[in-house]
Amino acid sequence: MTESQRSAGTRPQVSIRARKDRVSKYLFIAPAIVVVLALLVYPVGSSVFLAFTDKHLLRQTFEFVGFDNFAFVLSSPDFWSAFSTSIGWTIGSIIGQLVIGFLAALALERIPRMTGLFRVLLIIPWAFPPIVIGFAWKWILNDVYGFFPNLLTTLGLSDENISLLGTSHTAFWVVLVINIWFGTPLFMVNILAALKTVPRDQQEAARMDGAGSVKRFRFITIPHVKKVVGLLLVLRTIWVFNNFELVFLLTGGGPAGSTTTLPIYAYRTGWGLYQLGLASTITVLLLAFLLLVGTFAFKLINRWESEDAR
Amino acid sequence: MSGVSQRVRSLTLPYAFLVVMAVLSAFPLVWIIISSVKPASELASDPLSFFPSEVTFAHYGKVLFELGALRNLGNSVIIALATTVLTIAASTTGAYGIVRFFPRVGQKLTQLLISTYMFPPILLAVPYSVIMVSVGLANTYVGLVLVYLSFSIPYAIWMLTAFYQTVPLEIEEAAQVDGAGKFRIFLTVASPIVLPGIVATAIYTFINSFNEFLYALLFINSSDKMPISVALYSLSGSEVLDWGAMMAACVVIVVPSVVFFLLIQRHIAAGLSEGSVK
Repeated sequence: MTESQRSAGTRPQVSIRARKDRVSKYLFIAPAIVVVLALLVYPVGSSVFLAFTDKHLLRQTFEFVGFDNFAFVLSSPDFWSAFSTSIGWTIGSIIGQLVIGFLAALALERIPRMTGLFRVLLIIPWAFPPIVIGFAWKWILNDVYGFFPNLLTTLGLSDENISLLGTSHTAFWVVLVINIWFGTPLFMVNILAALKTVPRDQQEAARMDGAGSVKRFRFITIPHVKKVVGLLLVLRTIWVFNNFELVFLLTGGGPAGSTTTLPIYAYRTGWGLYQLGLASTITVLLLAFLLLVGTFAFKLINRWESEDAR
Repeated sequence: MSGVSQRVRSLTLPYAFLVVMAVLSAFPLVWIIISSVKPASELASDPLSFFPSEVTFAHYGKVLFELGALRNLGNSVIIALATTVLTIAASTTGAYGIVRFFPRVGQKLTQLLISTYMFPPILLAVPYSVIMVSVGLANTYVGLVLVYLSFSIPYAIWMLTAFYQTVPLEIEEAAQVDGAGKFRIFLTVASPIVLPGIVATAIYTFINSFNEFLYALLFINSSDKMPISVALYSLSGSEVLDWGAMMAACVVIVVPSVVFFLLIQRHIAAGLSEGSVK
């Protein structure tokens, strides 16, 4: 789908029969709307409601506790530790994915041959389900039978096989690197698509005028890919911040809480301690934070758009 | 001469970078495939041997038949298929309806749909747990399929509106003159035109629900109903890990996923970077 096809389609196309039959057109969108209301709007509302209760996983009845949950969570050091782990994990992952993905896209754009082959090879991590990411990397990093620790000792880079996922000062970084490995292809593919929209003649003209590659990148490439990159950053930041599976399957949040992000902390509170009310409070705070950051980011992207329109 | 050597030099760096990236990207896939066919003794004794000294399919036999992964694989397929069929039914009609009958509010509507992407899965997990228990859907296929619809339908509609917008109105009007009703036009005129897009969306929905882990972990607890992802996870906690069998199971899950993904990746990328830009 190209940009032009999409914008051509958004032109209002009011058909004659759209007016003729008023009921049947609602039937088309009814199933989707019912699902969204019943499976998304209602549950989110009920989460906010539960955040003010002492709902327990195994008890039927519950009572309102007002802002007690919020007071408890916000004064708990575990919450703030999970929050800062989440921030570090998100910022680190996104910067890594963006930088490496951008470089890979630029390299792919540059080479004259074997583009298809490299593209396919570089996309592979993106297709990995979380469960396989978890076990594949745990196997490669296993401190007895793992390829990587054995490689390090064979090359003389470490004295004994190290347990990278089992040591608290390395686990966080290893999980971060694995997430960068997983998410880079998505940035690469989208940035590559955006790079194709950069006009060749502008590049040529700038080259003629003596602009070096850094200058051309700064003043021609960046403005053309800014919007796609901005949008990618927002969507992926939300995704990484919310991600549960990757960390859970690689470390379970350990060792010693060093990889406990907010979703893991909420999971432990809800299904480990059965405190669903408290878990709701944590997840509602998570959503509130995302809405705040997301709204700000979308405003910024819209401003870029209106600047483009001028 | 100097022009040629300069060109070669300017290409060395991109190629070198891409080769390193390709090795890092593909290595885990290659390594789990190799590990899945190595004899158990070699897995335990020689972690760095690249090519297996002998190829064995014993790990596949063990995981599929002795450990019952075939059953779990079947569960995953049933759940993912049901999700895909329902998602395609609701989102082809939904996307077509938005494009044809609600073009003015359509953009706002799809934006609203895709903003549900912001809801943390773990946030929805709490109310889903409460609802599932109260209506008796905990530990059932139906319950899990319903939950999967919550994330698959918004995304599918988002992808599909982009495709339906490419259908020329004139073709539909011609069918209308011939006396075809709205639903008939949707089914026999518009949808066949965007069939490749529908197929891509269906594959994507299937892969996503096949791979889902969090909700499956929370809502299915009997081993005979577990999808393969959760079955593998519960296997890993039980006793000493049989890495050969685990790797065989991983290969069974990841290879179809990789193949399908490579086939449809262009469509997914298009959906992601365009939909909400405007």
